[in-house]
Amino acid sequence: MEDLERLYKTHYAAVVRFLYRKIWDADRAEDLAQEVFIRAMAHQPDKPRAWIFAVAANLARDEARAAIRRRKHLVLLKDDPVPLSTPELSAEESVEHDERWAQVTGALAALTERDREVLLLWDAGLSYPEIAAQTGLAVGAVGTTLARARKRLTEAYDRTEYQADAARS
Amino acid sequence: MTELNTRRMRHVPDEELHPYLDQALSRSQCVEIETHLAQCAHCRDRRDTIAALRDRTTALLGQLTPRNLIIPPPFEQLAERLSRRPVTPLWQIRLKRAGLWAAGVMAAVGTGWIGRSILDPHRDQPLAAQNETAPLASAVELGSAAAPTTATPVTVVPTDAAETPLPLPETTPRFSPSTSRSQGFRLSNASNRTRIIPAPMLQLASALTPMPEASRDVAPSARLEGSAPFGPLWQQVQWEDALEKAGSGLPYIEGMLVIGVLLRPGEGGERPTSLVAQQDPSGELVLSIEGPLAKVMEIVKSQGAPEIHASEWTRTPPDYVPSASGATRRINRVLTVTGRLSTDSLNALARLATIR
Repeated sequence: MEDLERLYKTHYAAVVRFLYRKIWDADRAEDLAQEVFIRAMAHQPDKPRAWIFAVAANLARDEARAAIRRRKHLVLLKDDPVPLSTPELSAEESVEHDERWAQVTGALAALTERDREVLLLWDAGLSYPEIAAQTGLAVGAVGTTLARARKRLTEAYDRTEYQADAARS
Repeated sequence: MTELNTRRMRHVPDEELHPYLDQALSRSQCVEIETHLAQCAHCRDRRDTIAALRDRTTALLGQLTPRNLIIPPPFEQLAERLSRRPVTPLWQIRLKRAGLWAAGVMAAVGTGWIGRSILDPHRDQPLAAQNETAPLASAVELGSAAAPTTATPVTVVPTDAAETPLPLPETTPRFSPSTSRSQGFRLSNASNRTRIIPAPMLQLASALTPMPEASRDVAPSARLEGSAPFGPLWQQVQWEDALEKAGSGLPYIEGMLVIGVLLRPGEGGERPTSLVAQQDPSGELVLSIEGPLAKVMEIVKSQGAPEIHASEWTRTPPDYVPSASGATRRINRVLTVTGRLSTDSLNALARLATIR
């Protein structure tokens, strides 16, 4: 239990971020992250870190299905996620921030589901063997997938940025 | 010799440089790649390019984080939520699944039976006549004759329907990394710096109601006394008692004199709503109110005086309470600071507020 508590303190934010990038609802991401750790407490898994992200991915998938049922949060670019402005940003900065945010979500949506999953798991701090175990890929294929995902993400982002610049000018 | 070797050697493919930079290769593989890199300018360039790509990916993904500061609730709270959950025996879970499966099958059969009975032109013929012409079909119908009565529509209610977060007004400020440095809900030893006086039986209601101009010069503590209590649900408590009763949410602004504390007990497992009255250096009374969104809204609305302003709301750790259906419901909580100061001043004070 102590290990789990330590993991909770060190990985809670990473799990929230991981979930948020899948369901685009910050509150719901926190709820689900807590549910993940509650389940971990009940199950006491042998490899808690990998287990937690596997359960988080499953919950996010269920949430996406439920969202479709509720006809909410249908696509990545829709929904509220961030557009509320922080008081520290000026109006211009805020608009720029929101535009950038939309471009990154658009670029992420352009990846295949597997590439996106591997990229998000890597960004959440999982090791190659953990990513492989969760996605069903061979460990050797994780590097290849990551290489492709990184390249496609940046290319897609540059493309949307170019389009946005062209639209402005 | 080195150049020749370099030309003859195969270059390190990008798919190997990625795991190399991610430190996902074995020691021997790393040594092999590093030996090659020391000799091959082309691969060094590729390594630098991929390192930049990797950093850029991290930076791009870094923009996709919730604006709210992510505050993990206490681990003990999760353990408590787990202990509140009813333990369902495995056989009950299996029985429930089997029941759902059976209901699904019955619904499918029932739908088919109804559809067939609509489409079948011979449905009005006597059963005996149908048996003569289509014995197999009638056998199916006889076997499923009871289906329509049992195949009532199954309504699946999402268990999280009750957990839909309460809507926040658009003015609700979101945390950002820059704000988190100044207004995080850190536990600090600031109580050493904060002058806290034991609250006498003060009545804080006057702070929530318009004050006549003539009374502006009166000291805040004097203003508080002699007015009606805010409501019967509110309890005036000593600071130490308030800390104990408020659980993890008693707001105060560091460096300001605490005049009094009011608590309103939470309902259905919520933490209490707390109201801490403090005096700012200019002598003005400032109230920090923390509690469930609806209750804080209610209090702010009840002030009603044009000269009393409220800061923008700041999210505080929510309550998780059991709902009637057994699911856990999320109650959003907020903090606001009110007083006769300008909204900008109150916003600045709200950033200094700490949840003790």
